[in-house]
Amino acid sequence: MRLVVLMLCVAVAGGCVQMAKVGPGDVVIRDRMSAKLESPWNRYESPHAGRAEIWTIDGLSLDRVDFYAGIAQGETLVEPKAGQDKALPRFRAKMEPQEIVEMVDASIALDGSVFRLDRLAPSRFADGDGFRFEFVHVRKVDELTLRGIGYGTVRDDRLYLVLFRAPRLYYFARNVAQFEEVARSVRIVR
Amino acid sequence: MRRRAVLAGCACAGFLARSNAFGQAPSTWAMPPRFAPPELASDEGGLWAVMDREENRLKRSAFLLKDQALSEYLAALVCRLAGTHCPDIRVYVMRTPWFNASMAPNGMVQIWSGLLLRLDNEAQLAAILAHELAHYISRHSLERLRDARSRAAFATLMLPFGLLGAIGQLAAMAGKFAFTREQERDADRIGIELMAGAGYDPRQAAEIWTQLLAEVKAGEDAGGDPARSSVLFATHPEPAEREADLRERASAIAGTRELALGADEYQRIVRPLRRSMLEDELRRRRSGESIHLLQRLITKSGDERGELRYFLAEVHRQRGSDNDVQRALELYDAATQSGNPPPELFRGRALLRWQQGDRVVAVADFQRYLELSPQANDADLIRSYLKGN
Repeated sequence: MRLVVLMLCVAVAGGCVQMAKVGPGDVVIRDRMSAKLESPWNRYESPHAGRAEIWTIDGLSLDRVDFYAGIAQGETLVEPKAGQDKALPRFRAKMEPQEIVEMVDASIALDGSVFRLDRLAPSRFADGDGFRFEFVHVRKVDELTLRGIGYGTVRDDRLYLVLFRAPRLYYFARNVAQFEEVARSVRIVR
Repeated sequence: MRRRAVLAGCACAGFLARSNAFGQAPSTWAMPPRFAPPELASDEGGLWAVMDREENRLKRSAFLLKDQALSEYLAALVCRLAGTHCPDIRVYVMRTPWFNASMAPNGMVQIWSGLLLRLDNEAQLAAILAHELAHYISRHSLERLRDARSRAAFATLMLPFGLLGAIGQLAAMAGKFAFTREQERDADRIGIELMAGAGYDPRQAAEIWTQLLAEVKAGEDAGGDPARSSVLFATHPEPAEREADLRERASAIAGTRELALGADEYQRIVRPLRRSMLEDELRRRRSGESIHLLQRLITKSGDERGELRYFLAEVHRQRGSDNDVQRALELYDAATQSGNPPPELFRGRALLRWQQGDRVVAVADFQRYLELSPQANDADLIRSYLKGN
């Protein structure tokens, strides 16, 4: 019996916070994106990771990159919980960058967090036309102010989006260059 | 923050719990004298100490809505209602776009901005505050603390677990430390007496429920889930019954007296904050509820319908069905005709026109948006649209 409990605990704990090293070198993300890494990152591996593949350098609460690799028409950015389905914003292939940012905003605001867009501009991304945005996210759970950068593009009616977030104090400045390096290297796998 | 959220949750129990029928005899209740702070070594003292710590965190919260005129207004209103207890009550408005209010046993009241957005007048705000004050004056939290089951629930809430985060989960927790049905009935009864005593029409307490029920119904009709659409309805299943009870009792108390609504006073204070509250409302993505709310606000508003129509158009644009696009365009057009249209109106209309392929009209609107808002956060992107044409 004790053994069963122990195994259960290990399984649960293991499932919650498992990280795998990714890079350096070429990395494929959810079969639809790739990146070339100069230095290694940690990939969050959990059944709760949801729609995005999530990477971090110093730990999920200190910096994180969310890769949305080819969100299709009608899909959401976050995994809907029971009863939440209708309220979640859904991707439409015709969306302009402002509307995609509104989706990000509404997804972040789901738990009561605050999102504020600081800048949205055209930008190269994934070897083509795209957009880049800068934002602030005040995290509800601990009221920490995060700074964020996002890159996105819509190709063949699918959304490719990368979001970086880190606490405004220290960690943003510490890791933003590495994120930009990753973002520059992102390509779409066809 | 988790614990604070929980405390806010237990709150709502206050204004929101269901009740059966009212007792028969009104006005037998008398305001007790001001309470002395409890001994720190007592159970009540312990509870106060916990709440005081929460309050200190609340004062530094990034979600605290800081507006001096609103703070002064709320403090004055509390004093009209609370009599000698006035110096012991502090009201905090939190930036959260849902309907909720709460009272902690140490006199800390929390009101969420989504509640302020939904009220029509000072009498309704007085109804909320009076109900919460009734819990304080009756020391309902202490009764709950001394109840063994509740104590266990309270202990659970104090554990550092990771349950909270989503607002729907908060609703589930609210029920665990909720006031009892009898306490809610008491708070309703005392609340409307406090209101009427301060000169406000107590029927407005029932009116709040009427409005909320209609809004939630509109959300359900649009496919929403009522259990998740409102923190209060998740824990309080019979609001219609409560509304009827409140209305009956309030009518008896009001009689034929001249009682105040205070719509102008309320709007004077809340109106400057409405735009940011509406921006937060849009983020909830409860389109059915938001449409109902905005239509109600438009019906009741005087000369500033442009802004409200703009937000209504935005809800339709974001929902994005074929019918919504047409409706949004009509509303944007109407909003340009009414006073005070925000610059973003032209961007919203331009985006829809752009997607419809009507680029000439879209470009004109994008240009207008940039003229009105040259420093807009998406100005570079808009300029790129214009360059391409």
